[in-house]
Amino acid sequence: MTTPETAERRTVSGGESRRTPSGAPPRRRRIRTEAVSGYLFVAPAVILFSVMGLYTIGYGFALSFAHWNGFTPTWKWVGLDNYADLLWRDPVYAPPVQAAALNTLWVMIFVPLLTVAVSFPLAVLLNQVRRLQGVLRSIYFVPYVTSGIAVYFAWRYILQPEGAINFLLGTLGLGSLQEPQGWLGNPDTALATLIVVIVWGNVPVAMLLYLTGLQSINPSVLEAAQLDGAGWWRTNVSVIWPLLMPLTGINVLLNLRESLHGFQTFLVMTNGGPAQHTNVLGLEAYRLAFLENLNPTLGLASALGWMLFVVAIVLALINLRVLRSRV
Amino acid sequence: MTAADLAAPRSPGTGATGRIAARAIVLLLLLGYALVSLYPFLWMVSAAFKNQIEVVRGGHLIPESPTLDTLIDTWNKLHFFDYFLNSLLVTTYTVVLTLAVYAAAGYAFAVLRFKGRTALSRLFMALLFVPGVTVMLPIVILENQLGLLGTHWGLVLPFVNGGAPMCILLMTATFSAVPAELRESARVDGASEFRIFAAIYLPLAKPALITVALLTVIPTWNEYLLTRVSLNDPETYTLPLGLQTLASENVPQYNNLMAGALIVVVPVVLLLLFLQRYFVNGLLGAVKG
Repeated sequence: MTTPETAERRTVSGGESRRTPSGAPPRRRRIRTEAVSGYLFVAPAVILFSVMGLYTIGYGFALSFAHWNGFTPTWKWVGLDNYADLLWRDPVYAPPVQAAALNTLWVMIFVPLLTVAVSFPLAVLLNQVRRLQGVLRSIYFVPYVTSGIAVYFAWRYILQPEGAINFLLGTLGLGSLQEPQGWLGNPDTALATLIVVIVWGNVPVAMLLYLTGLQSINPSVLEAAQLDGAGWWRTNVSVIWPLLMPLTGINVLLNLRESLHGFQTFLVMTNGGPAQHTNVLGLEAYRLAFLENLNPTLGLASALGWMLFVVAIVLALINLRVLRSRV
Repeated sequence: MTAADLAAPRSPGTGATGRIAARAIVLLLLLGYALVSLYPFLWMVSAAFKNQIEVVRGGHLIPESPTLDTLIDTWNKLHFFDYFLNSLLVTTYTVVLTLAVYAAAGYAFAVLRFKGRTALSRLFMALLFVPGVTVMLPIVILENQLGLLGTHWGLVLPFVNGGAPMCILLMTATFSAVPAELRESARVDGASEFRIFAAIYLPLAKPALITVALLTVIPTWNEYLLTRVSLNDPETYTLPLGLQTLASENVPQYNNLMAGALIVVVPVVLLLLFLQRYFVNGLLGAVKG
C-alpha cells in the first residue's frame, strides 16, 4: 500500500543523483495532492456508480441463479436452471422466449436496414439545398427529441381503425390498402408497423451523422469524380457511399443495439399483442420482472437480462473492431 | 475507378431547365419527408383542439369546431398541471446533479493524474453496454430496501447514473482541449484545485455543459419504464405516467390523451428550436466517442 508515509520515505531515500537541486520534493508533494484531488473529484460519480451500477449488476447476476418471487425472505438456489428453462426446458416460459427471440431478430434485421436506407438518401438530398437546410434539419429532428410515450400514443391514435393512416389511404384512393382492424390490431401487420415507427424515430440521428460526413468530404474528391465523367447518381453510389461506409457501420451498430434492448415502443403501443405477435426479448424480461406478481420469476428475468447483456457485449466488441478499422 | 468509367460520356440534360426540374424534385422529396416526420404531431395537435364527439368520429385534420376546452380540462381537471410540476422537479434535480457530478469527474479524468484513472474511466464506459432492463429489477429491489422506491429521488439517482458514460465522455473531451498553461499559471498564483476548476475550466466549458444538460433533459423528461414500476402514488406521477393513466381507461378519450401528449412534447420541441446547434454537436460527440 502506498500510504502518504511510504511515499514520503521514498522521496527522502530517493538518492542524491535523482533529485534535482531545488524542485524535486515539492514536485512529489504536488503529484500527491493532485492525486488526492483527483479522487475527490471522481468520488461522487464513483459512489453513485458503485451503488446504482456495480452493485445492481452483481445482484442481478446472483439472482439469475435463484428462484425468488420478491416477497419470501430467502432465495432458492437453482444453478443454471433459469437459463435452461428460458432457452428450451420449461413448457410455460421457453416458448414465449423463443417466439420473442424470433421477433427480436426480425427487428434487428429490418430496423438497421431501413434506417440506413432512408437516412442516407435523405442526408444526400438535404446536403444539396442551402436555404432550407437548417429548418428541415430541425423538422427531421422532432421525432428524436420527442421520442417517448407521448409520440407512441400519437402513433396509436393514427394507426387505429378509424385513424389518420387509413383516412390518408382513403383520400389517396388507396382504400384497398386500409386496415379495418387497425394497423396494430392485425397480427399480420403489427410487427411491421412497429418496425416502421422505430425506424421513423431512429432516422434523425442516422441522418445527422451522414450529413456531417457529407460535409466533411473533401470537395476535390467530388471534382475529380466529375472530371472523370461521373454523373450525380454515379458519384453518390461509387464515391460517396463507399467513403461514408464507416458511418454506415456506426449507424448499423447503434440500431442493432437499440433493437436488441429497446422495448418501450412495444410496451406502449401493443404490449406484445395481438396474441404475442409483437413480443420481444426486452419486453419479456420486463414482464417476468415486474408483471408476474407472486410467481417466482425474478430469477428468470435476471437470467434473460444477463443473456441480453452478453449479446450486447458481443455487439460492442464488433463495434470496437469496426471503429478501429476505420482509420 | 476503371478506364471505362473515365471514358463514359457526360450525362446529358444539364441545361437550365433540367437543373431547375432536378432541384424541384429534390425539394419535393425533402418536404415529403418533413411531412412524414411531423405527421403524428399534426394529428396530435388536431385532436387536442377537437371536442369529444368530433374526435370519436375521426374525420379531417383541421377541426370543424376547434376548442380550447380540451387542453384546459386536461391541464386542470385531469391534473396535468401537477404532473408537469413533478416532471419539472425530477428533470431539474437530474440535470443539476448530472452537471455537478460529471463535470467534476470529467475534470479529474482530463486534467488530474492519479492511480487507476484509465481503469476507472474504462469502467464507466463499460456501463454503456449494460441493457436497462438488466439493472432495472435490482435497482427497484435495492431502492425498496433503502426506502427510496416511490420517491422522486429514487428516480433521479438511477437517471444520473445512467447518463454517466456519455456525460463523462463529453466533459473529459472538453476539458482535455483546454490549454494546460492556464492551469499552470493559476497554480503558480496559488489557486486551489477547486478554484481552478470552478473559475477557469467551468466557464470555458459552457457549450459542453449546455449540451450535457440537453442530452439529459430529453430522456429524463420522456422516461417511462423505470418510472412506471417505481411510482405508485398519483401525487408523485410525472407526465408520462399521467398519460399512461389516461390511456388505460376502458375507452381512452383520444382528445384528452392527445392534449396530454402535446403538453409533454411542447417543452422539448421548444428546446430543440432554441438550442438546435447544441443538440447537433452533442449528438455527434456522443456517437463518435
